Amino acid sequence: MKKYTILMMVGILVGLFAVTAMASVTLSLITSPDTGPSLQWLAQQFEKQNPDIKINVSIVSWETLYPRLLADLRARSGVYDIFTWDVMTAGSIHSGALDLTKFFKEHSNLVPKNYDWKDLLPLAERLGEWNGDLIGLPYYNNTMLFYYRKDLFNNPKYQKEFYNKFGRPLRVPTTWAEAVDVARFFTKKYNPNSPTRFGIALMFPTTHTMFYMFPLFFGPYRRSPDGVREFGPVNITYGDYFTSNGKPAFANKYGLMALEDMKALMPYAPDPLGSDYGQTIEYFSQGMTAMCPQWTNPYMQFKSSPALQPASEKIGIAPMPGRSVAGNWALGISKYIPLKKQIAAAKFLLFATSKWATLHVLEKFGIAPIRESVLDNPEAQKAIPWVKALPAIYQTETFRPRIPQEPQLESITDVYFSEMLSGKIPMTIESLKKLAQKWEKVLSSK
Amino acid sequence: MEESTIALENKNKPVKNSVRAHDRRIAILFILPAVILFLVMAIYPFIYMIYTSFTNLNLSMSGTGQFIGLSNYFEIFHDPLALGSIWFSAMVLLIAVPIEMVIGIMFGLLIRGIKGERVFRLLFLISMMIPGIVFGISAQMIFNYLFGSANYFLSLFGISEIAWFGHAATAQFVILFLDVIQWTPFIFLITYAGLLSVPQDLIDAAKVDGASRWQLFANVEFPTLKSFIYIALIIRLIDALKIFGKIYMTTWGGPGMATSSWSFYIYKVGVSYGWDIGYASALALILLIASAVLVNLLIKVLNLGETLELRKEG
Repeated sequence: MKKYTILMMVGILVGLFAVTAMASVTLSLITSPDTGPSLQWLAQQFEKQNPDIKINVSIVSWETLYPRLLADLRARSGVYDIFTWDVMTAGSIHSGALDLTKFFKEHSNLVPKNYDWKDLLPLAERLGEWNGDLIGLPYYNNTMLFYYRKDLFNNPKYQKEFYNKFGRPLRVPTTWAEAVDVARFFTKKYNPNSPTRFGIALMFPTTHTMFYMFPLFFGPYRRSPDGVREFGPVNITYGDYFTSNGKPAFANKYGLMALEDMKALMPYAPDPLGSDYGQTIEYFSQGMTAMCPQWTNPYMQFKSSPALQPASEKIGIAPMPGRSVAGNWALGISKYIPLKKQIAAAKFLLFATSKWATLHVLEKFGIAPIRESVLDNPEAQKAIPWVKALPAIYQTETFRPRIPQEPQLESITDVYFSEMLSGKIPMTIESLKKLAQKWEKVLSSK
Repeated sequence: MEESTIALENKNKPVKNSVRAHDRRIAILFILPAVILFLVMAIYPFIYMIYTSFTNLNLSMSGTGQFIGLSNYFEIFHDPLALGSIWFSAMVLLIAVPIEMVIGIMFGLLIRGIKGERVFRLLFLISMMIPGIVFGISAQMIFNYLFGSANYFLSLFGISEIAWFGHAATAQFVILFLDVIQWTPFIFLITYAGLLSVPQDLIDAAKVDGASRWQLFANVEFPTLKSFIYIALIIRLIDALKIFGKIYMTTWGGPGMATSSWSFYIYKVGVSYGWDIGYASALALILLIASAVLVNLLIKVLNLGETLELRKEG
C-alpha cells in the first residue's frame, strides 16, 4: 500500500513537472554589449507580460558574438534562439536565420493589431533583408555623429581668434578640409591659446573600427557626381566600398584622397593609430578634444561626464563633415529551433520593436530609433538631442559591404590602411591597387 | 608442511586473480570518465582541426567545407600577414626570452643569501601572480597617450608624450617589455630553486680555495643550475610562441601587423573576424609543428637528454 502511495506521488510530481515544462518556454538570446542592457531590460518587461516565456540574455563581446553565433547556426544546434546581428553580417548569417516575412504570414495571429509595420523606417527594414528574405527585425538604427564642444564653438573669443587666423568664421565643419583648420585651431601644439589639448579624437586602429572610419572620408568622393558617374550608384548589398557591379571602388584617386584626408587630421588627434572606441570616448568625455566622430550611444557617457556639464551647453551634435556610416543592428531568430520556441521568439521580437519599446530604449539606453513616429516624437527629441538630427543623417549615410566575404575583406583592409597611415607602406594608388587585388582574390576564391 | 602451504597458495591463486581483475575493472571505471573527456575535449577537436586544415571551411560562407588539399598550407607562404606574424613571434623569441633568462638568473644570484631575501623574492614574484587580463588592462592604462603614467613619468624629465600604441617600434617595445615583466619572475623562480639545491659545502669549499664570483658561478653553481635553466628556457620557448593575451588587450596586433604574433593572427583569421576556420587550422598546425621542431632542436643542441639523465640506458 505504502509502495503504491509513493509511486503515485512520484507519478504526480513527474506529471506536474512535465506539464510545467510543456507550458513554459525558455529562450536564449545572445547579444553584443551595445544592445545588451536594453535587451535585458526589455526581456524583463516582456516576461512580466508573458509569464510562460523566460528569456536568458547573454551579453558577449563583439569579437565573441559572431564566432559563437555562426558556429551555432552552422552546426544547426539551436543553442541561441534569438540573436542580435550587425546588418553588415547579413550575408554571413542569412543561411541560419528565419525568414520573418514568411513566418509572420504563416503566424499572422502573433502580430498585435497595433503593431505598425509601416512605421518602421524603410531603410532600417531593408538592411535586415537578404535576397528578399527579412532575416531580422530592425532594432538599433545606429549611425555615426559628429560631436563637438558647443560652448567653445559659440565662444566669441574663439570665434574672433579663429577669424583672425583663417579669415572665415568658426563653425562646425561641413567638410573634412574645414575640419582640418578647426582641429588645428583647437590643438595646443599649434595654437597655445587653445582651450583643449587636441582638436579631434580619431580612432584609426588596426581593428574593425578602421573599416567603418574609412567610409566617413571615402563617402563624399564615392557619392559625388563624379564618383557615381564612374562607379555607378551604391548597391546596398556591396556598400560604398564597391562599384555598382561588385568591383572594389577605392583603388583610385578617390580612395587615395580619402586616406589623405584621414592623414591630414592625424596631427591634431591624440594617438589616432593607437586609439579605439573606448579611448576616443574618454578623450572627449574628459574635455581633451574639441571634436569627436562617434556612434549614437556614447552620448549617454558624454552626458554624464563631469567635464562636459552642463551637457546641453557643452555637447553639440551635427552631421558628419563627410558622410556618416550606417551601424544598424537587427534581431533574428534561429531556423534550427522548434516551432514552439520560434513562436515565443517572434512574440519577443514584435514586443522589442514595438513603438512603446522603441521609445523606452531610446530614452533609457540611447538606442537610436527604428520607427518614424519615435523620431518625430517631441518627448524623444527632448530626451536625446541627436534624435532631431537623425533623419537628415540617415539620408546621406554610407554602407559597408553586407556580403559573406565582408569579414575577410575587413581583416585585410584594416592592416593595409593602418600601414599606409603609419607610413610603413607608401600611400599611393599602387598600394590601394594591391589591396584591391587581394579583395578580388577573396571574392573569387570561394 | 611445505606441501600444505603450496596447496593453500594454489587454492588462493584464482581468488587473487579474480580480486585483481575486479580491482582492474574498478580502476578502469574510475579512469574512464577522464579518458572519455580527454578524447572528446582534446583528441577529437585536434583530429577535426587536422581535417579542417585541408578544407575551405568558413563560418561566414554557406557551401564551404570542401576538401582543397594543401591549398591552405601553400597560402601561408604567400600571405604577407602570416609572414609578418611569424616575424613578430621571432622577435619575442630572440629579444624578450634572452632578456628574461639573463635578468631572471642574475636576480636569483643577486638575492641569494642577502638580508631581506624573502621580501625581495616575494616582491619579484608579484607580477607573475597578476592574471593576464589584469596585466593587459593595466598596461593599456599605463601606456595611454594622454592619461598614462608612462608618459607622465617621462614628462618629469621633459620628454614629450609618446604614442606607445601608435607607432610600430614603440608598440613592439611595449609588448616585449610586458613580456619581460611578466615572465622574468618565472625564470627567477626556477633558477632560484636550482640555486638553493647547490650544496652549501661546495660553495664554502670553493670560497676557501679562493674562487672568484665568476669561478664560483661557472664551476660550482652552473653545473647544478644547468638543467633548471634548460627547462625554463624550453618552457619559455613554447610559451613565447603562443604569446596572445598582452597583444589582445593592448595593441590588437597593430599598428598594421607590427605586433601581431602567430597565435594572434590565428585568432584573427579564425575567431575574431575572419571565421576562416580552414586557413586558421592550417596556421595552427604549422605553429604546433614549428614549436615541436624548435623544442626538439633545443633539446638536442643543449644535450638535455643527458643533462636530465633522461636517456634510456643501453
